[in-house]
Amino acid sequence: MPPDTPVKTPGSPTPPQYVPILELLGVFLRLGILAIGGGVQAFMYRDLVEVKRWIDDKAYITGLAIAQVLPGANPVNLALYFGLKLRGGLGATVAVLGMVVPAFCIILGMGYAYRQLAHLPATHFILIGVASVGVAATLAMGAKIAKRLDRNWNTALIALVTFGAVGVLRLPMVPVVLVVVPLSILLAYVAERRRAG
Amino acid sequence: MLDSRLIGLIIVFAPLSLLSFGGGQAIVADIQYQTVEVHKWLSNSEFVDMFALSRAAPGPSTLISALIGWQVDGFAGALVAALAMYIPSSAVVYFAASWWQRSQTSPLRIAIERGLAPVAIGLVFAGVVAVVQAAQMDALALATLGMCTLILYFTKFSSYRLLFIVGAVYGALLYFGIDVFAQPGANLFYWWS
Repeated sequence: MPPDTPVKTPGSPTPPQYVPILELLGVFLRLGILAIGGGVQAFMYRDLVEVKRWIDDKAYITGLAIAQVLPGANPVNLALYFGLKLRGGLGATVAVLGMVVPAFCIILGMGYAYRQLAHLPATHFILIGVASVGVAATLAMGAKIAKRLDRNWNTALIALVTFGAVGVLRLPMVPVVLVVVPLSILLAYVAERRRAG
Repeated sequence: MLDSRLIGLIIVFAPLSLLSFGGGQAIVADIQYQTVEVHKWLSNSEFVDMFALSRAAPGPSTLISALIGWQVDGFAGALVAALAMYIPSSAVVYFAASWWQRSQTSPLRIAIERGLAPVAIGLVFAGVVAVVQAAQMDALALATLGMCTLILYFTKFSSYRLLFIVGAVYGALLYFGIDVFAQPGANLFYWWS
């Protein structure tokens, strides 16, 4: 059995390492319970990349892209992808259950509580505060990852066009992605061929 | 066995699962149409409440399916609707991810990886804009947002702890009746968001 306490050197790419299944479950349970306001990806980044160092930046952004581009809720897809990467099929199952089961129970509980509390302005006020932490986590993560993107015009242009189309113009995401993703991959493929040949 | 309402939930949510690109956002409009107009399981205002709850709750926003399932057929409905929402898309991701990990060195994979990265970043920031606008953040929320972004960017402070601290501070502000940005001019921020 590989050692389960690998040496962690900050900044270096993460070496393949043994991730205890219970620790994996713990991380995703906590994410399932606490990641609020659309901040799941950001909270997961902090846990998997910055705190545990199970995943490096490059692998995280790949997982993020796959989770966003394929159908399915991003948090569930991310849990599935990283669970699979870290511990195979068992890891994927544990991660998805950790992510969904507590959230499932909480949302039903909230559905019940909401009926009792909906008339109180405090409910909405506190939720907005909590949501802004979720958004802040997303912003901080986006800024950190954007800093490490390949530095070239193609990359910058694709990122800006995607943001502009979906975030500013509010075009529907599916057609935008169907146009931008093949274009971006083609550009990357051509650049790769040119570099190689 | 499955009664007709449970089968109805599966028929509504399983196909939407495969269309839920980017999570709940992409399919919210269709969920509304199917559950309110077609099946008449909910009124429009009930739907809006459930949408808000699914956004405020932790975890994936597609759990709105569980809330609707609960409304339609109790706990069994919630369970069936959640499974119908997750199993089809998860199967797709599972096979895609398995292929991904087997083709480590293929040039196509490298190109896909490099090509997807900027799209992912663009979508992340687009998501930020969407949430800020949907939440109609006021000056206080925007100030919280800015401060927390700086903290999370420059320090290793736990995002969970920050979440609880902000929740507690907001609770205290409310309890003591402090209206932090009550001056005229603060409303300028409404125009922005």
